Amino acid sequence: MDYTLSTVAPVVLLPFFAFVINAFIVKKFTKLAVAVSTGAIFVSFLYALRIFLDFLNVYSVGYNIHKTFTWFDLSTGSSIFKVNMGIYIDNMTSVMLLMVTGAATIIHIFSTWYMHDDPRFGRFFVYLSLFTSAMLGLVLSDNLLSVFIFWELMGFCSYSLIGFYYEKEGAGNASLKAFMTTRVGDVFFLLGILALWSVVGNVSFVDIYNAIGAGKFNNLYALGIPLATFAGFSIFMGTMGKSAQVPLQVWLPDAMWGPTPCSALIHAATMVAAGVYLSLRMYPLMELGHLLPFIAIIGAITAFGAATIALVQTDIKAVLAYSTISQLGYMVIGIGVGSYNASFMHLITHAVFKACLFLSAGSVIHSIHCQEMPQMGGLRKKLPYTFFAMLLCCFAIAGVPFFSGFVSKDRILGDALVMALAHPVYIPVALLGFAGAFLTAFYMFRMLFLTFFGEPRDHHIYEHAHHEHLGWNSNIPLLILSVFTLGLFYSGSFTGQGEVNLFGTKNEWFSTLIHRPDSNSLHHFAEYKSEEFGLVDTRDKVELPRAHFDESHGMSEKEAHHVHQIHKAGALASIFIAFMGIFLAYSMYVKRSIYPGWWTSTFSGWTRALKNKYYFDDLYVKKIIQGLLLPFNNLLAWFDMGIYDKYAVDGWEAVNRFAFNVSRWFDNNIIDSGMVDGTGASVNLMNAILRWIQSGKIQLYFVVLIVVLASYIWTIHI
Amino acid sequence: MINLGSYLIISFALFICGILVMVARKNIIAILLGIELILNASALNFVAYTKFMNNNLDGHIMSLFIIVTAAAEAAVGLGIVIRFFQLRESIHIDDAATLQN
Amino acid sequence: MFSNTLFMLSAALTLGGAFAVVYSQNLMHACIYLLASLFGVAGLYACIGADFLAATQLVVYAGGVVILMLFAIMLTGGTGNKINRYGLEKVAAMGNKKTYFTAGFAAVVTSLIILKIIASVLRAQPSKELAANQVTVEKLGTLLATDHILAFEISSVMLLGALVGAAIISRPRKEKHD
Repeated sequence: MDYTLSTVAPVVLLPFFAFVINAFIVKKFTKLAVAVSTGAIFVSFLYALRIFLDFLNVYSVGYNIHKTFTWFDLSTGSSIFKVNMGIYIDNMTSVMLLMVTGAATIIHIFSTWYMHDDPRFGRFFVYLSLFTSAMLGLVLSDNLLSVFIFWELMGFCSYSLIGFYYEKEGAGNASLKAFMTTRVGDVFFLLGILALWSVVGNVSFVDIYNAIGAGKFNNLYALGIPLATFAGFSIFMGTMGKSAQVPLQVWLPDAMWGPTPCSALIHAATMVAAGVYLSLRMYPLMELGHLLPFIAIIGAITAFGAATIALVQTDIKAVLAYSTISQLGYMVIGIGVGSYNASFMHLITHAVFKACLFLSAGSVIHSIHCQEMPQMGGLRKKLPYTFFAMLLCCFAIAGVPFFSGFVSKDRILGDALVMALAHPVYIPVALLGFAGAFLTAFYMFRMLFLTFFGEPRDHHIYEHAHHEHLGWNSNIPLLILSVFTLGLFYSGSFTGQGEVNLFGTKNEWFSTLIHRPDSNSLHHFAEYKSEEFGLVDTRDKVELPRAHFDESHGMSEKEAHHVHQIHKAGALASIFIAFMGIFLAYSMYVKRSIYPGWWTSTFSGWTRALKNKYYFDDLYVKKIIQGLLLPFNNLLAWFDMGIYDKYAVDGWEAVNRFAFNVSRWFDNNIIDSGMVDGTGASVNLMNAILRWIQSGKIQLYFVVLIVVLASYIWTIHI
Repeated sequence: MINLGSYLIISFALFICGILVMVARKNIIAILLGIELILNASALNFVAYTKFMNNNLDGHIMSLFIIVTAAAEAAVGLGIVIRFFQLRESIHIDDAATLQN
Repeated sequence: MFSNTLFMLSAALTLGGAFAVVYSQNLMHACIYLLASLFGVAGLYACIGADFLAATQLVVYAGGVVILMLFAIMLTGGTGNKINRYGLEKVAAMGNKKTYFTAGFAAVVTSLIILKIIASVLRAQPSKELAANQVTVEKLGTLLATDHILAFEISSVMLLGALVGAAIISRPRKEKHD
C-alpha cells in the first residue's frame, strides 16, 4: 500500500473537518451535524483499518512509515535547532489507530441514542469530533512537540465535556479541577521536551532514539541530576497527570460528571491511555534514566489504592472510574517492569472492555435514570443484552481465562513476578499487583451483582425501567464491543500462553509485532529513513523479513525456561485470585452465605450492621466511619484532602477487617521500604508551596514564570 | 554608533521596562502598556538582526506580524477590560483573582 | 551624520518614554509617554532602513492602539453611578513599594539571563560592511504575497476574529440582578 497524503491524512482530517463543519451548522441542522460526525469517524475507521491490514500483511517488526517536513529550522553551524513535523506509523501506531477509530465509531453510534433527548445533542458531537481528531493526531505524530499540541487539545475537549452539563455547579468545578490537575503534569512534560530538545536538537521519536543509542546523554547533567533522568521524569509527570496516576489521580473520579459516552471515550478508552502511550514511546529514555523502578512503584500504588477505593463506591460510574485508574496503574506497572508489549496490549484490551463497561453503565442509567447501585438490583430481566455485554466485560477485567484482560494483565503480573524474584525493589510491586487483581475481580462483580442480580431494591425505579429491545444504536454497539473482549483476538490463542492455538500456527501477532525499543535494539533506528511528505510515495520497496514468534524472547534456553515457569505460576495464581474474587463477591452479594457466618464468628462488633444487608453500603458510609482508620488517613493526607481522604476512609470502613490488615501491611511496607515516604514528603512540600503560589494574582504567576524560565535557560544555555 | 550591540541594548532596556510595568502596576490597562513595550522590544530585535546579519527581510515580515498581533491583542484585551469594568466597577488586577480556591 | 543624530534622538525618545511609562503615576500620562516611546522605535526602524515598518509602526500604534487605550482609560474612569474605586490618578492603582520590589526582582532575573545571552554579541566587533539602505516596500509586498501568503491570510483571519471577539466581549449586556 502506498502511504501518501490521500491515504493517511483522512484519518485525522475527516473528524477535524467534521468538527469545523459542525461548528457552523450544529444549531440549525442538529441531525445533519450528528450524521456528519458519525459518518466522518466511520470513514476514518475504514482508513485506519486499511493501514492496520497493511501492517498485518507485511508482518515485520521493522516496518514503519516515517514522513516529515521541516517546519522551521534555526540551526546555526553545529548547533541543531529545528522542528520537523510529520507522521510516524509503526506496528504500535497502526494498532492504536484501529483501536481509537473503532472505539470512537462505536461510541459515536451509541451517543446518537444516549444523548438523543439532550438539549445540546449536537454540541456534544462537535466536541466529540474535535477530540477524536486530536487523539488520532497524537497517535500519528512523529515528534513530541506535536504530541504536546494534540495533548493540550485533548485536555481542552476533556474540560468542555466534563463541564457539558454546565448548569450543575459540580460539573463546572469538576471540569476546572480536571484541567488544572492535568496542567501540573503538562508543565513538566513541556520541560521534558525542552530538555530533550537542548540535547538532541530535534524532538522526533526516531532522532531521540538515535541520540540515546549514540550516547549523547552520557555525562550530561541538569540541576545536578542526569539529564536523561530529568527529562524522563518530566515526561513521566505528563503521564501521571493525563493517566491519573498517584498523586495526580484526583481529577478522574470527578470527570464522571460528563455524559457517559464521553466518559467511555475520553476517560476510559483513549485520552487517559494517551499518557501511557507517551511513556511507552519514551521507554528508552525511562530506561536510560533508571526510572523504571520508580514508575513501577507509582503504578502499583495507583493500581492497588484505586482498587480499594472502588470497593465501596455506590455510584456505578464511580466504580468504573476507580477501576479505570486502577487498570491504568497496571499499564504503568507494565512499563516499569519492562513488559512493553503486555503493557500496550493491556492499553488496547482495557480500552475495549472499559468502553463497553461504560456504555453498558450508560445503558443502565438511561433506562432507570439513576446511578446509585443500592437502588438497582434485578435488572437482568429488564436489560438482558446490556447484562450480557457487561458480564463479558467483567470477565475480561477480572482476568478470567479466555478473555482479553487475562491475556494482558496476566503477562504484566508475570513479568512483575519475574522482576520481583530478581530485584527486591519490585517485590511490593508484584504483591500490590496481585492484591489489586483480587480486589478488581471482587469489586467488578460486586457492581455486576448489585446491578443485575437479586431482587429489585427500589420497586418504583424498577417498574419504570423500560424493557430493552435490540436497537442498532442502543445495544448492538455494546454487543459488538463485548465480542472483542475475547482473548483470542489479541493472543491468537485461547489461553494467551501460546500453547493452544486457534490458527494452527504458533504465532502471536501482538507480542511478535510490538517490539520493545530497549537499549540493545536502538541501533535499528539509525537505519530508518524518513521521506519528505508528498503526493507520491517515494519509498523504496524493500522486502522486509517477516517477523516470527520468538518464544524465548531473546533469552538463553535456560533463562527462558525459568521465566516460563514463573509466568506459569503467575498465571495460575492470577486465575485463582480472579475466581476467589468472583466467588467472594458471589457469596457476599448473591448468595449472602459466607458473609454473616464468617463475620459473626470473627468480628462480632460488625454483626449488627451485616444483618441489614440490603442497605449495607449506605450503613457503612453513614454510621461506622468516625475515627477508626486514622493511620491510613494520615497516609492519605498527602493527597487531596477533601476527596481522596474522605473516600479512602469510607473505603477502609467498608472493606472491614480484612482490608484493614492488608492496609496495615501496605502501610508498614511502604514506610519500611522508605521509597514512597520520600514521595510523600515531597508532595507535602509541593502542596505547601503550591498553596502559597496559588494566590490567583496573575502578576505573581508572571514573576514565577520568569524565574522558572530564567533558571531553566541559565541551566541549559551553553 | 549604529550597530547590533546598541540595538540589542535598547531593546533590552525596553524589555526590562515592560517587565517592570507589567509586574509593578495594579491597573489592567497599565499592564497592557507594559505588554506593548515588550512586544516592541522583540520586534526591534528582529529588525536589527535583519539589518546586521543577513539582510533578507524575513525579520521585517516577523515584525509586521508582531505589530498585527499587538493590535489584535490590544483590541481584545481592552474589550475584556471594559467588560470587566462593567462587571466589577474596577480595573484593579487583584479584583480579578477569583480563580483562587 | 544625519542618521547618527536621528539614531541618538530616537534612542533617547524610546528609552526616555519607556522609563517615563515605568515611573509615571498618572495612567493618562503613561499612555502618552508610551506613544513617545513608540515614536522613538519608529525612528530606530527608520535608521536601519526599515521604512515601511517605521510607517506601519506610526500608523498602527499611534493611530490605532494608543488611541484605543486612551478610549479604554476614559471609559473605565467611572461614569454616573459607576465609580472606579481607584480612580485615574490614585497611586494605589499604579503600584506601591511592594509591587515595585517584586518587579525589580523580576527585572534583575530577566536582565541577568538576557545579558548572559547577548554578552557574546556585545563582545564581538562588527566586521561586516553594512549594505546601504534601500526601499523595502516592494520587496516586502512581494514576500507577503508569495513566501508568507499563508501567514498573511491567517493573520487577516485572526484580525477579523479579534474584531468580532472584542465587539462581542465588550458589548453591554442586560444586568440580571437589578
